[in-house]
Amino acid sequence: MGRKTGNKVMTAAEAVERFVAEGATVGIGGQTIGRCSMALVHEIVRQGIKDLVLVGCSMSISMDIMVGAGLVKRTECGTGNLERLGTTFQWRAAIEEGRLEVEDYSHLAMASRFLAGSLGLPFMPSKSLLGTDILNKKSFDDRKPFALVDNPWNEGEPVVLLPALTPDVSIVHAQKADSMGNVIIEGFTTHEPEMVKASGSVIVSCEELVDTDTIRRDPDRTTIPYLFVDAVVLQPWGAYPTSTFRYYEHDEPHLRDYQERARAGGDAYQEYLQQHIFGHATFDDFLKEAAGADRLSELRDTMLSLL
Amino acid sequence: MRAPKMGSWYRLDELMVVEASRYIADGDIVIVGTGMPMVASLLALKNHAPNMCFVVETGTIAPQVIRTPVSVSDARVMYRAVRLGSLLDALGGVLQRGLADIGFLGGAQIDQFANVNSTVIGDYSRPKVRLPGSGGANDLASHAKKVLIISRHERRRFPERCDYITSPGYIDGPEGRKKAGLPVPYPDIIVVTDLAVMSIDKAVGRLRLDKLMPGVSLSKVGENTGFEPLLPSETASVDPPSERELRLLREEVDPHNVYLKAGDQ
Repeated sequence: MGRKTGNKVMTAAEAVERFVAEGATVGIGGQTIGRCSMALVHEIVRQGIKDLVLVGCSMSISMDIMVGAGLVKRTECGTGNLERLGTTFQWRAAIEEGRLEVEDYSHLAMASRFLAGSLGLPFMPSKSLLGTDILNKKSFDDRKPFALVDNPWNEGEPVVLLPALTPDVSIVHAQKADSMGNVIIEGFTTHEPEMVKASGSVIVSCEELVDTDTIRRDPDRTTIPYLFVDAVVLQPWGAYPTSTFRYYEHDEPHLRDYQERARAGGDAYQEYLQQHIFGHATFDDFLKEAAGADRLSELRDTMLSLL
Repeated sequence: MRAPKMGSWYRLDELMVVEASRYIADGDIVIVGTGMPMVASLLALKNHAPNMCFVVETGTIAPQVIRTPVSVSDARVMYRAVRLGSLLDALGGVLQRGLADIGFLGGAQIDQFANVNSTVIGDYSRPKVRLPGSGGANDLASHAKKVLIISRHERRRFPERCDYITSPGYIDGPEGRKKAGLPVPYPDIIVVTDLAVMSIDKAVGRLRLDKLMPGVSLSKVGENTGFEPLLPSETASVDPPSERELRLLREEVDPHNVYLKAGDQ
């Protein structure tokens, strides 16, 4: 048997149950309002998988929901943010109240850590972070978050070494995949190529399932070959309410409603989880309730007008 | 705050964006952070720098941005780019590689050495307010040839020393970047606010007050700054916005006030 062969198509529920374990380090795909793997996150929340360590670059509503649902013990990232729509409020509250361990990096530093993992190397040198509190302030435990060494070819020049990051599992939403697990990400890829290749297991949800023939006819479009992928979940609109490049625009009113309730916390927030996640067996049910066909087609039209 | 009535009426936060855009030259490679930097860069692109290479950390290279992106992952910021690649392409292959002429960022606190804090207010381990964190800001401030910072001017935003240094300015003085081992050459750093323009005096590693916004007095800047900026013998005045700059900003860059809200000062 070769590495990760066979038909990998399964439901979100099956994929999460098989590949996301309690206490796992989970790589988070997407960025702010773009291509967050919402369908997979809803499933993690429904299954109540606890003590997760979430790692990524710019972590957004997908991370915030898992923190808000009480499933996260630590985050390692460059930022928690929805930019113009506000910060990640549940994440912020959890840190301010001392309920969440955080380790801060810059985005390039996180991408460099994933790159090291993806190349099978123990660490990656960096010239970011120098002179700042990202290096100076103590992190949450005694594990060494970085090392400073001398450039062997230029004595006296400090270089930061960042430890490789190899998530147990990564969750990513893409535009296209085939049943083997070959993945096409269209548009920006942020930190995902490196993160996925560094991960033990990978779950990809996708807008469209394509034939392997289609992949083989145009192989230079493959962002991630099947070797790295364990599960393929066909889930159109799987990033809603965030956007998917070429497919649909983010749903700003829904995001603003989430932000309002995440900021308020308490019952207002629990109602969101109840209404939109626990109240549904599947992501399709959520889409029907939260958006509906007309709204979704509006979002598709808006995206098409921006291309 | 309203500026004196000379020519057309404008707000000082509008002039802040206009003035910041003027530091971008045509052809510059600019790594653009989220928020106000995006608006000012977009204005430069539309007004006087059609050949600037707009680079966004998501991996977007040289887009012809359309109005008005709310995020670095907004399709509006990717319009007609020459490449949509990875974060490593943008922050590694362009920025850390040393190709960025300008790194353009905002921040919650900026201190006298032009260090920027976007991580926490208060103690790191138990913050009073937790902010979003570095994102690409640390990388921008570490590697760009010139660093442009834009911020509203309030005393709490300009402390003597940041609660937490997320992105390096001159750290603690003229030798700060050298001691830390940051890449050479060390950047010019320019801070544009709605009251003034300051820049790093490299000989002392501290911010110097270069220009005042029209109608703003030195004492007004003093009241709103938690440190004493170096003072030149003569302080210049920021040029008011041209009709064209104002029109582009209001009609083509941010017509729906996504970033600049009247009264939000």
